Amino acid sequence: MSEPTLPAAKSAGRMNDAMLSSLRPPTLRWYLLAFFLGAVVAWGLYAFGYMVSTDMSCTGLDRPVMWGIFIVNFVFWIGLSHSGTMVSAILRLSRANWRRPILRAAEAMTVFTVTVGALFPLIHLGRNWVFFYLIPYPNQRGLWPNFRSALLWDATAIFTYVIGSSLFLYLGMLPDLAVARDRSAGWRRTLYGALAMGWRGTAREWLIFHKASTLMAALIIPVAVSVHSIVAWDFAVTVVPGWHSTIFPPYFVIGAILSGVAAVITLMVIIRKAFHLEEYLTPLHFDNMGKLLLVIALLWSYAYFVEVQTTWYAHEPIEWEVFSFMAGKYTPALLLMLVGNSLLPLTALCFRRIRRSVGAMLAISLLVNVAMFIERYLIIVPSLSHKNMPFVWGTYFPSWVELSVTAGAFAGFALMYTLFAKCFPMVALTDVRELEARKVLVPFARAELPSIAGKEAGDD
Amino acid sequence: MIEILGIFRDFESAGRAVERLVGEGFAEAQITSLTSVPYPDGALVKTGQRTRFRWLTLGCFIVGAVAGFALAAGTAWLYPVQTGEKPIIAYYPTGIVTYELAMLFALAGTIVGMFLEMGLPVWRKRPYDPAIAEGCIGISVTIHPGGEAVVCGREAETGECIGSVFSLPAGEQKSRAEEIMREAGALRIVAEEPS
Repeated sequence: MSEPTLPAAKSAGRMNDAMLSSLRPPTLRWYLLAFFLGAVVAWGLYAFGYMVSTDMSCTGLDRPVMWGIFIVNFVFWIGLSHSGTMVSAILRLSRANWRRPILRAAEAMTVFTVTVGALFPLIHLGRNWVFFYLIPYPNQRGLWPNFRSALLWDATAIFTYVIGSSLFLYLGMLPDLAVARDRSAGWRRTLYGALAMGWRGTAREWLIFHKASTLMAALIIPVAVSVHSIVAWDFAVTVVPGWHSTIFPPYFVIGAILSGVAAVITLMVIIRKAFHLEEYLTPLHFDNMGKLLLVIALLWSYAYFVEVQTTWYAHEPIEWEVFSFMAGKYTPALLLMLVGNSLLPLTALCFRRIRRSVGAMLAISLLVNVAMFIERYLIIVPSLSHKNMPFVWGTYFPSWVELSVTAGAFAGFALMYTLFAKCFPMVALTDVRELEARKVLVPFARAELPSIAGKEAGDD
Repeated sequence: MIEILGIFRDFESAGRAVERLVGEGFAEAQITSLTSVPYPDGALVKTGQRTRFRWLTLGCFIVGAVAGFALAAGTAWLYPVQTGEKPIIAYYPTGIVTYELAMLFALAGTIVGMFLEMGLPVWRKRPYDPAIAEGCIGISVTIHPGGEAVVCGREAETGECIGSVFSLPAGEQKSRAEEIMREAGALRIVAEEPS
């Protein structure tokens, strides 16, 4: 068939080819990467199996520090999950056109990070085989979980967020799955055909799709905020010094968005390079994401300053003891956290040249997340180490088991993301093509005007 | 009912076909476009703007809120934990669980409602052409048996959904639609067998 004369700046076929390039048969390098990640995951599973078959004494957990790196991981991964869906939803609602190529990477990141994060409370349980006691159902003990526990709020909120984010990801992919269906054969065609559910792209389908996307975006934002607020309440509703603070929920939400935005930037760089999407993930996208990161870093710095300043002014002995212990024992980590989360983004991202440099953005975004992992560690461990009773003060070092499980979690996320990228379109294809269609100019008197002027399809 | 799908190479010829079909007496409600990219309503065809699935979202939100309240407050009531003078049903936890389940049900309800209103999933074969994914435009006409008026939506204006061709036999309507689409520049016509 001859190439159609498209109502778009670029040919639809060429754009489909480019944006569905991730679905091409895997190369040897891809297999090597998947094998390496799989091996690390297997090592993490071995470490977890060792912990289950012995007991929790193989971890570094001991009185008074009973929450260690597993809970650090939990908070970190749930935090990462925030920005994916939230950034996507906010940009969708604000009709920011530059959002289009990054939507899928962000939404997929949320689903996989929240999945990894949700595993950590289960890993941390100790007696993991009775995890189903968490689930409210009529059981032989005649007991139901106590909803007064913040941990059960977590379970409820994270379940809602996992389901909501997965539905949000699937909804955005629906038209792209239909395109993938039309361009594939064999098992892929069957898979995409089943997931596309008979989508044909009728005018009515598009209308309803856009209204549903807008509504989902509006619904998912308050869920995202509530999830990390509830994670913060795991700490804030206790009377542990350093945790019992009213600023914790907004501080956690801001921190979550900061790490999430940074993670989206990191993934954008990797996807761009791996699937040769330089034409679609342009310096403009990094520039805009850099501005977003700058604003969030400012907010984080403000929240951290307020938290520390209030503690300093009050000089409550035990609160100040925790802070002094953290600043003294973990000085390098504290400095790295302040540089990575505040100083570096606030200075570097003011410059357009840096925001538009892919390499610089990769370095900054990686450092932000290293700093954010440290921040989670510094919230949890020092507070538990120096609680109210000095005779039980202690310290904590993660054991090889905990470090192996952590490495397995990172590899597990990367493996899931890699497999997803090989099976599903990694760029929101129809969204990008819609933008191209809207760019076409038509002559009008002495000027050229957009051919499809005004509002986006689906606007009321 | 029979559905005929014309595949067009560009937007202009597809638009021309729609105009001629309407001019010939086909109702707007009988015609729709099939595209891989959304276009504003009225650019090719007009669709009913009103959608109802948001009512399902609201309904599910209320059901979820009731379920969440029943789960948190009901658990506390059935398995009371006496803690000093604190109430058996704790306000904040009940509020949090109620909120989370209400949102979960609302999110699920939105997706279910969307598919219900779209009429998906559809597993039977319908007129379609993979060229649409490559940027071609499909214009679909639903032919109703002779003498049967096209079903109107409540918001449709009088005359908008009862085309003047409805009195003709289905076969004649079909051949007229095919002829118009070919004249407008259709690359090919894909027709569905009568059901």
